[in-house]
Amino acid sequence: MSWQRVLALMLRIVRQFRRDKRTLALILVVPVLVLSLLGYIYRGSGEPTRLAVVLEGDSPLARQVLALLEETSSLQVIVMEREPALQAVDRREVDGVLVLPALPVQPGTQPEVELILEGSQPSAAGAIAGAVSRALPQAIIQTMSPSGQAIQIEPRFLHGGPQFDQLDYFAPTFIGFFAFFFVFLLTSVSFLRERLQGSIERLIVSPLDRREIVLGYMLGFTLFATVQSIVMVIFTVAVLRIHYAGELWLVVFLTFLMTVGAVNLGIFLSAFARTELQVVQFIPIVITPQGLLSGIIWPVDSLPRPLQWLAQALPLTWANEALRAVMIRGEGLDALGLHLAVLIGFAAAMAALAMVTLRREVA
Amino acid sequence: MDATIVADEVSRTFGPVRAIDRLTLEIPPGVIYGLLGPSGSGKTTFLRMVVGALRPTEGRLLVLGRTMPDRAVAGQIGYMPQTAALYPDLTLRENLAFFGRIYGLRGRKLEDRVEQLVNDLGLLGWVDQPLYRFSSGMLQRASLACALLHQPELLVLDEPTVGLDPVLRRSLWAHFRQLAEQGKTLLISTHTMDEADRCDLLGFLRGGRLLASDTPAALRLQTGQADLEDAFLALAGQPGIPVGEP
Ligand SMILES: Nc1ncnc2c1ncn2[C@@H]1O[C@H](COP(=O)(O)OP(=O)(O)OP(=O)(O)O)[C@@H](O)[C@H]1O
Ligand SMILES: [Mg+2]
Repeated sequence: MSWQRVLALMLRIVRQFRRDKRTLALILVVPVLVLSLLGYIYRGSGEPTRLAVVLEGDSPLARQVLALLEETSSLQVIVMEREPALQAVDRREVDGVLVLPALPVQPGTQPEVELILEGSQPSAAGAIAGAVSRALPQAIIQTMSPSGQAIQIEPRFLHGGPQFDQLDYFAPTFIGFFAFFFVFLLTSVSFLRERLQGSIERLIVSPLDRREIVLGYMLGFTLFATVQSIVMVIFTVAVLRIHYAGELWLVVFLTFLMTVGAVNLGIFLSAFARTELQVVQFIPIVITPQGLLSGIIWPVDSLPRPLQWLAQALPLTWANEALRAVMIRGEGLDALGLHLAVLIGFAAAMAALAMVTLRREVA
Repeated sequence: MDATIVADEVSRTFGPVRAIDRLTLEIPPGVIYGLLGPSGSGKTTFLRMVVGALRPTEGRLLVLGRTMPDRAVAGQIGYMPQTAALYPDLTLRENLAFFGRIYGLRGRKLEDRVEQLVNDLGLLGWVDQPLYRFSSGMLQRASLACALLHQPELLVLDEPTVGLDPVLRRSLWAHFRQLAEQGKTLLISTHTMDEADRCDLLGFLRGGRLLASDTPAALRLQTGQADLEDAFLALAGQPGIPVGEP
């Protein structure tokens, strides 16, 4: 094992990378763009859901319900007559119509509240149904209770906080995902090129041994992946103001472990591709399942059982859990023994596979 | 002194194809050995076994005293593949530096070697240009430079002068001769007869079989042809000539 040779290989990869401005932009700018977009989606003010309210009679309770709905920030409430309101929802000008009878009705009868939802957009329908079903009981309590006081719930958060949103939940895992994705893609493409242009043969007959090749590649690519994860950490903290609870170097460290696995997986799988298009064909096999099942968007617990088992077999699932533990709950390395073991085991297994494919290179 | 290359009944098959068929030969140190043969006759296959990129399927192949493939002698062998096999996005200097460092050169020594080779090969003005700007003849020279860089005991060159003009070709052969005089062994595959004539020993390959292996003069005598090209054609036309017998 000669470090001079490992460094020579690493230096070459770094040089090729620096020369390739587009790829450099890809790994540094694209993650930032995607995060910005997500930030805008989750934090920017979109079109509010529109609800038409029809008051069939005047009563304190109906007015109270209306007032509560108007306070709901995600709803735009418009008071209308019954007929125009029904036409409006039919033409999809509003997302729903709430018809409030003269509340309260006689004791012993049910108040007949009508709710008509446009329904083709589940999130709008859900927002209206949720707001209405919160407002009604609240209004009843407020109008009935002698003091007119509502019941206030002050939640106490163990982790996160009242300002904690979806973006805070996603951001830590995106850092790991992007590192894994790009490093896998870039390694497999550049290793394939090495084969196509024949330079791999020069390496094989040189004093470089397989461990040195794997190590050189690993150092070269993880260097860029580490830079990428540092850029993402800085961006999410400084610009997106993600509510991180833990230590940021742990994010970079966990990402590093993932990329070591990704480099070796790339070397291994590139042996099964003959063209660059065939490398791209690995994305749906290697990347997509991990993107969907590893808990980035849908928590693993919420998946159907068989998919949970599958998710447990994916390295990214463990990386994501660890990243969330660190960044949302502020846990340290000591709490992540199992996760670290799985990630290191994955990296070691992939390195072993990469070595096997390199051995086959002397046919 | 021991022979640099000893092949003993070496065969290599690719599925049903017998690319090299029971090849036996010895190449002593300090000679230029030329391997001639029509396209597809197995020249590249044999060279790749000599450098350790391919494993013989049968027989024994000793290079610098080791049974190939063996990484222990990798540092003493310089290999120029048939295709350039360099990094087109890197400059010539960067390519040379990479291979130089892999073969243990560094610092001043590496710089001197790069400068010297770039000079010898007429690439001086191009040393800081990326290889994708190179013509195929220039790539050929760049590839040769990478093989010569670490001054190996054994140089294995697969059609090194294809696409080069006569002047350059001549200067390269002068360089090869110089290396042989220093005691280095050169194994060179070629198609052209004028180059064959400059070799100390010649081997004729056809269909994976070594039809003859001797000095150019002896081959002329043996076939009764004054012209090497005619000698070659005579050999190629006679499948009956005993394998590996001078
Ligand atoms: N990797 C391989 N897989 C399968 N067959 C191969 C492989 N390499 C060589 N062959 C076969 O072995 C035979 C000899 O090929 P080789 O490349 O050694 O010829 P060559 O003499 O170098 O030809 P050329 O002068 O065209 O370069 C050919 O029939 C070729 O098809
Ligand atoms: Mg050939």
